[in-house]
Amino acid sequence: MRATPPSLLWFADGAAAIAMAAALACAAHFGISAFDRPGFLASLAGLIIATILRASVQLAATGSGQKAAVTAKHGWRRRAFAAVLTAPAGSRTMLGEQVADATDRIEDLDGYHARFLPLRFAAVATPLLIAAAAAAASWVASAILLGTLLPFALGMILAGTAASRVAARQLDILGRLSGLFIDRVRALPIIIGFGAQERIGRHLAGATQEVATRTLAVLRIAFLSSAVLEFFAALSVALVAVYCGFNLLGLLPFPAPERLDLGRALFVLVLAPEFYLPMRRLAAAYHDKQVGEAAMQRLAALPSPLPEPSPALAPLLRPPAIRIEGLTVDYGERHVGPFTMDIPAGRMTVVSGPTGSGKSSLLNALMGLAPATAGDIQIDSMSLAMRSLGGQASWTGQSIALLPGTIFDNIRLARPGASDADVADAARRAGLLAFIAGRKEGLGTRVDTRGSGLSGGERRRIGIARALLRDAPLWLLDEPTADLDRQSVDLIMHEIRKASAGRTVLIVTHDPGIAAMADQHVSLA
Amino acid sequence: MTGSDLEALLSSASREQRSSMRVAILYAILAAVSAVTLLGLSGWFITGAALAGLAGVAAVQAFNYLLPSAAIRLLAIVRTLTRYGERLQGHKAALLTLAAVRAGLFQRFVGAPDLSRASGDMAATLLQDVEAIEDRFIRTPATLGSLGGAGAALLLCGAAGWASALALLAILIVTLGASSLLARRLLPAPARQIQEAIARLKHDVVEYAVCSAELVAYAMRETVEDELHGRAAALDRVRFAFTRGEAMLAAFVTLMGGVAMAAVIGLSDASLPVTMLAGLAAAGAIEAIGAGVRSIGRDATVAAGIDRLSALVARTPEPPLQGTRLPGTRITIGTGAGVIAMQPGDRLAITGRSGSGKTSFLSCLAGLQDSCALAVCIDGRPLANCAAQDRRPLFALSPQDAQMIAGTIADNLRLARSGLSEAALWDALATACLADEVRAMPQGLMTWIGDGGTRLSGGQRKRLSLARALLAGRPWLLLDEPSEGLDVATEQKLKDNIIAWLDRTQSGLIVVTHRPAMLALADRQLTLAG
Repeated sequence: MRATPPSLLWFADGAAAIAMAAALACAAHFGISAFDRPGFLASLAGLIIATILRASVQLAATGSGQKAAVTAKHGWRRRAFAAVLTAPAGSRTMLGEQVADATDRIEDLDGYHARFLPLRFAAVATPLLIAAAAAAASWVASAILLGTLLPFALGMILAGTAASRVAARQLDILGRLSGLFIDRVRALPIIIGFGAQERIGRHLAGATQEVATRTLAVLRIAFLSSAVLEFFAALSVALVAVYCGFNLLGLLPFPAPERLDLGRALFVLVLAPEFYLPMRRLAAAYHDKQVGEAAMQRLAALPSPLPEPSPALAPLLRPPAIRIEGLTVDYGERHVGPFTMDIPAGRMTVVSGPTGSGKSSLLNALMGLAPATAGDIQIDSMSLAMRSLGGQASWTGQSIALLPGTIFDNIRLARPGASDADVADAARRAGLLAFIAGRKEGLGTRVDTRGSGLSGGERRRIGIARALLRDAPLWLLDEPTADLDRQSVDLIMHEIRKASAGRTVLIVTHDPGIAAMADQHVSLA
Repeated sequence: MTGSDLEALLSSASREQRSSMRVAILYAILAAVSAVTLLGLSGWFITGAALAGLAGVAAVQAFNYLLPSAAIRLLAIVRTLTRYGERLQGHKAALLTLAAVRAGLFQRFVGAPDLSRASGDMAATLLQDVEAIEDRFIRTPATLGSLGGAGAALLLCGAAGWASALALLAILIVTLGASSLLARRLLPAPARQIQEAIARLKHDVVEYAVCSAELVAYAMRETVEDELHGRAAALDRVRFAFTRGEAMLAAFVTLMGGVAMAAVIGLSDASLPVTMLAGLAAAGAIEAIGAGVRSIGRDATVAAGIDRLSALVARTPEPPLQGTRLPGTRITIGTGAGVIAMQPGDRLAITGRSGSGKTSFLSCLAGLQDSCALAVCIDGRPLANCAAQDRRPLFALSPQDAQMIAGTIADNLRLARSGLSEAALWDALATACLADEVRAMPQGLMTWIGDGGTRLSGGQRKRLSLARALLAGRPWLLLDEPSEGLDVATEQKLKDNIIAWLDRTQSGLIVVTHRPAMLALADRQLTLAG
């Protein structure tokens, strides 16, 4: 447990509470005699000033906690974003989970860092501060406060153990219910198809009712620990009040250990509820703790972010020859391969085959993004495991990544130093000029991830323009002409053929016309 | 369903829990009143004792200390017990109400299904938003209880004189009024923006994740990560604004607590013990209405949730089936010379390259989708004029993804039709070549197949889906790649079984496939150009 700025601010909140109590005690002290009106009024002014201080401290503490959460979340995001962007391509179920990790799970950490952690420190430190301040006025009252801690701790251990056991069960029950809901909504097509709405609806109604009843049984126990907390908070006020009253009356059933006056007595009375306040605040943040810890457990399993491999390590200086040997890609729910083939240097190879035969997996494996479980890929007789093709290929895939900016900027991403003329030329050769002629801004049209009204064909052409601009020694093209009509296909393929002459080119396609252009044609079963 | 419809569902669901809610509110009021009184009475007791102590032995003798000190202890216990009761009864009312709301929402959602939005993601949103509403119900007793506490404090302040009581009343009104104004100014916009920012971030993460290979190829990953961090920072900013708004509300309540104490004590014209009683009670009252203010703060989130839920189920329910049910005795596909006309019992195979629309044709016929690329007529009526819910009873579809519900094998089979006997289930499994495998499973029909049937292999899932379609007893069977993932021997057996089943039931068949064995099921073939 570390003293971070937000936790220290919550600690300072306790100090401000002490100031408020002191101001009130002064007011009572001066209030006894009718002649001390100025002192009385000054005390009340002091009370208001202390309250303003306390409110500002609370505001600062919350803000500072939120800042701490932002810092913590940023650290986790670095890992989660890197993981999701380097995840094996081609597995939809895994993608869903990874996206949830990179977004929802990280948001789950918010309350944990913003509230729970700072309050945890304050829950230990502030009561001690309050007890110390109370001791200055009445050591017996302070001892009473501290004395209630022992049975409180025992009660919390008893109730808390039972509560955390049932709380875990409750999370489980609720998790299963939401799972059931998510499942049935997802399965809506078959439910409707078979006309099973009524039956499934009745089943769900029964399940929700049952979960509610079971949750209630759990809560009966879970609320015990808060009742213990509540009881000792109330008891400490009552005990301090009764002790102080009897002390002031001189009616204690034992020899008075100290002599109190009204100011001291009121001071400790007002501090008594403050003693348990930090613990009550922490209890309110218990849900944040549960959710946050569950999220962290998941996120901790993410790999640490690796820097992008630098092509300088083993740059492709000339078109490579690629040998794929017994490569098997395993996505868990299905696997493809084994593939064995030779892709000769400086030639165009076309791979075709039915859906699901693993054509795209082959290209992704070359980028190091497929979970290869067996076999090897060799680039110029050097294993892919030892080198990376990252940043060294002209690529067009099924989807095109668009960054916020102009179409022009987006094409240039393929070769950041490219001149304006080169970018414009690539766009022209990809057939983009005709497409965007209708747009006022032309290549300066702004786009973002939502595409800003770009059609599938336009997106595809931006991808092709990137490949043309990059003009790498190796070209990897996945269905480069999908979404395009026959005439455009011929034009584009002509450009690709011309620009990639002498490069090592691997094209995955269904199109027999493109296969006919190739130097080599591989059919996957 | 409009927002008021949703409110109607909420209020009808909450009506049944009215007695629990009333008990919870009663407990909440008792808890708040005893909390306020405990602090006030303690202050009065101590001050009175101090004055008596100063005044000498006679005053001490005259001071009734037994009653207040007993009351203080009693209040401490009452506060604890009532708060426990309040929480339990409040949760009971909320949980049972929202259980009914969840079920009601699902009923309304399937009554007006929007299949394009039937994703797990949407279901998760639905759950989250219902939880936000549940939270509102849980907080209701405490909110009303806090008003009870405020009322008690006003009465106690009355003892300190009109000026004190009026000051407290004014401060209470200002606190509640200003908080609700402040909440309405500060919170709804960020609450909405948080949801938008999360949705936007998720969308972008998905967009870039599916392009991972391109990002590697052009070494764009770091650029894209920066872009995502920028999006995330935008989310953090609106979240910060929201938290800050909430914190300002809380700080405002703290501030007003001090002001109330100072004002009540300063304006009191009563004796010092009564003044202290009033002052501490006033502080207690403001602390109590803090719960109400927090509630006001949460309302922005709840309102946003209600809006989303209303939008989610905003479609008018499909009208119930009318007398004009389609008999489904004649289905024509295409126009002109190439038209294919099908009578009951006819069998058609559809082939074509991927993306040519085979799957969407089937889901169109089955009433799961409305726009169909082909010109199809059922009983002479163009598809566009046949309502989806009229088409559904004609067709039993075994879809390509062989979708399953999380449950047992029997659960999935019984989805097909109500009142199916166990023998009928085994019969269908036998036809689908799955009976032996199911019999070998330790729990047989009661075997749990996991979320979406993930504990079965792809081929098993396919055959289970086929068995389910057979059980539906519809005039037409629609199969999408039924033998995907099967070995040749099983595929042959499956073909024979399906033919025997079709002969027996006289059902019609439309099968989408590219496998020769399955093509043999049909007497006619249609190739889609796409």
